[in-house]
Amino acid sequence: MTKYITLGLLLFSLPMSWFLTAENLVTDTSANEEKAKKLIQQVDDMYRSTASRATMTMRVQTPNYERSMTMESYTIGEEKMLIRILAPKKERGISTLKLDEEMWNFFPKINKTIKVPPSMMMGSWMGSDFTNDDLVKETSLTDDYALSLDESGEIYVITLIPRAQTVTVWDKIIIKMNKENYTPIEQAFYDEKNRKVRVMSYREPKQFGGVILPSVLEMVPLNKKGHKTLVLYDKLELNAEGVEEDLFTLRSLKRRLR
Amino acid sequence: MLVAKLAFRNIFRQRRRSLLTGLSMGGGYILLALTISLVEGSYNNIINIVTTDHTGHVQIHKENYLERPGIFKTLSRGSGIETLLANEPSVRSWAPRIYGVGLGYGDEKSAPLSIVGIDPVMERNTTSIFGKVREGNYFSDPVNSDGYYSVMIGYGVADMLKLSIGDEIVLISSGADGSIANDIYRVGALVGSRDSYEKMTVYLPLEAAQDFFSMKGKVHEYAVMTSHPSEAWKLTAVLSAIIDDPLVTVSPWQVVEATFYKSMEADKQGNKVTMGIVVFLICIGVLNTVLMSVLERTKEFGVMLAVGTNRLMVMAMIILEIVTLGLLSCAIGFLLSLPLLYWFTHVGITMPQPIDMGGVIYDTMVGEMGAAIFIIPVVIIVGSAAAVSFIPAIRAALITPLDALSDR
Repeated sequence: MTKYITLGLLLFSLPMSWFLTAENLVTDTSANEEKAKKLIQQVDDMYRSTASRATMTMRVQTPNYERSMTMESYTIGEEKMLIRILAPKKERGISTLKLDEEMWNFFPKINKTIKVPPSMMMGSWMGSDFTNDDLVKETSLTDDYALSLDESGEIYVITLIPRAQTVTVWDKIIIKMNKENYTPIEQAFYDEKNRKVRVMSYREPKQFGGVILPSVLEMVPLNKKGHKTLVLYDKLELNAEGVEEDLFTLRSLKRRLR
Repeated sequence: MLVAKLAFRNIFRQRRRSLLTGLSMGGGYILLALTISLVEGSYNNIINIVTTDHTGHVQIHKENYLERPGIFKTLSRGSGIETLLANEPSVRSWAPRIYGVGLGYGDEKSAPLSIVGIDPVMERNTTSIFGKVREGNYFSDPVNSDGYYSVMIGYGVADMLKLSIGDEIVLISSGADGSIANDIYRVGALVGSRDSYEKMTVYLPLEAAQDFFSMKGKVHEYAVMTSHPSEAWKLTAVLSAIIDDPLVTVSPWQVVEATFYKSMEADKQGNKVTMGIVVFLICIGVLNTVLMSVLERTKEFGVMLAVGTNRLMVMAMIILEIVTLGLLSCAIGFLLSLPLLYWFTHVGITMPQPIDMGGVIYDTMVGEMGAAIFIIPVVIIVGSAAAVSFIPAIRAALITPLDALSDR
């Protein structure tokens, strides 16, 4: 169970982080939500101790271009993340630092660190189908959504509905999970007209240091024809040594890649 | 023949009246010729400024780039368009371009900018950009030792980002491959003025822009020059035919600068009203004189009719009189307007307050000379005078000899 959560966190903290904020959930007495909460609590504790290091390839497909980037990422907990692009050469060294709900990009060519302003949060991250918000706001997104767990089918279906005061572009998020091993299957985002706007699916489970995790994430925006972003995990180290707190600073962000 | 002779003689019978009528017609001629000359001259001047400043006579784009520009609507430099342009005899020169927007950073400040990639040599041969360099050198230096390209910036950019020649400017935008375009450039020149339309523009050498926007070998636009702006439609048709690709759009400057062209056409209509008023005043003067002369010669016409002159001949004589007078006045007006128009064409009036027409600064009012400019007023003046003199002519033709002679 824990394994899957860890992966989610590694990547943009998007996939599973709804688990992680159980303490913020409005306590519901219904049995299944209690169960979900318990589950989440456990996962949350496990997760907080995790530091990770990963190498991944991101493939962006659009009708106009296709490109591929190799990058490495470091995470501590869900609040801290550093991503560095390794290839292609043109973009080598471009880095993104996320600290809590703030985010900076560093461009080595021009030696500039640029904070991503709130207005750019729904903008694309490095030309992919992930938004900056996917990297940053996920925590608060889960804080601000009401959970409901449906166990009746062959799989778990968890529906997230934003609370009244929540500022978000999603009207509903539906997460599907396998029942027997708690693997995530897909996460679907709905807009205010209840249209499915984008889907993220988890595929190709692989062994990473004794843990089996989906190694491919696929984000498909349904409102943009021909667009797709794939993230493939090449290497993944959990509880990685050497990933320290001081890696996640603006000074560290500006360190150049050799 | 007799009618013509009579008409001609009649003109000189009342010299003072003929002189006055002639003056109003001759004056009208000069006024009309001058107006037409100035209108045509000014507009051709502005069109020249607009087309050579930036637009060119004809532009080539991918699909509907003009209405809905997009970074992906590109033409490939190797697609054969360039060969066709090079081989088309009516194409004088052409220049490839890339357009984009981005954020520019100076030392402390940042500002949104428009980024234009141009081929230094071809652009110089096509538009007047070289002449707009106010400070620094036009793309003279290639990539410097640090690998920075030299770029040209508008005055607005220089002011906002506090940049001067030799400073570094950082540009950030998004590339055609989805990457984040970011690079440092060196300011090599300042172009235009503080009010010119390129004030918030950064000009990059084409290859630097292609590299920046990750669009190697691609351009957004070709600006093409032919011999004269008036040839634009013709060249558009020629190029459309030889390129023969439904995905490539060829547009003349009248389409590219549609707003400017339409406001110019509207202004021309306004000028026609002014000319109409001039013609109307002339007509009233002519009508007045002819009516007077007919009235004065009532007896004379009575005699003519009494001795058996055809009524139509009387009419023809009166109209011929005025037409002859009109032609004479126009001839004199022509001689007088010749030096005037010559001066306007070659010297012109420098306006105390330059007019900004859609971003194009227009400061000298010049005229134009040409056969049409001298002939059109003749047609208008003689034609309207003749038309107006129909009324008195009919009146004269309808005189009853008895009434006329008995002085009743």
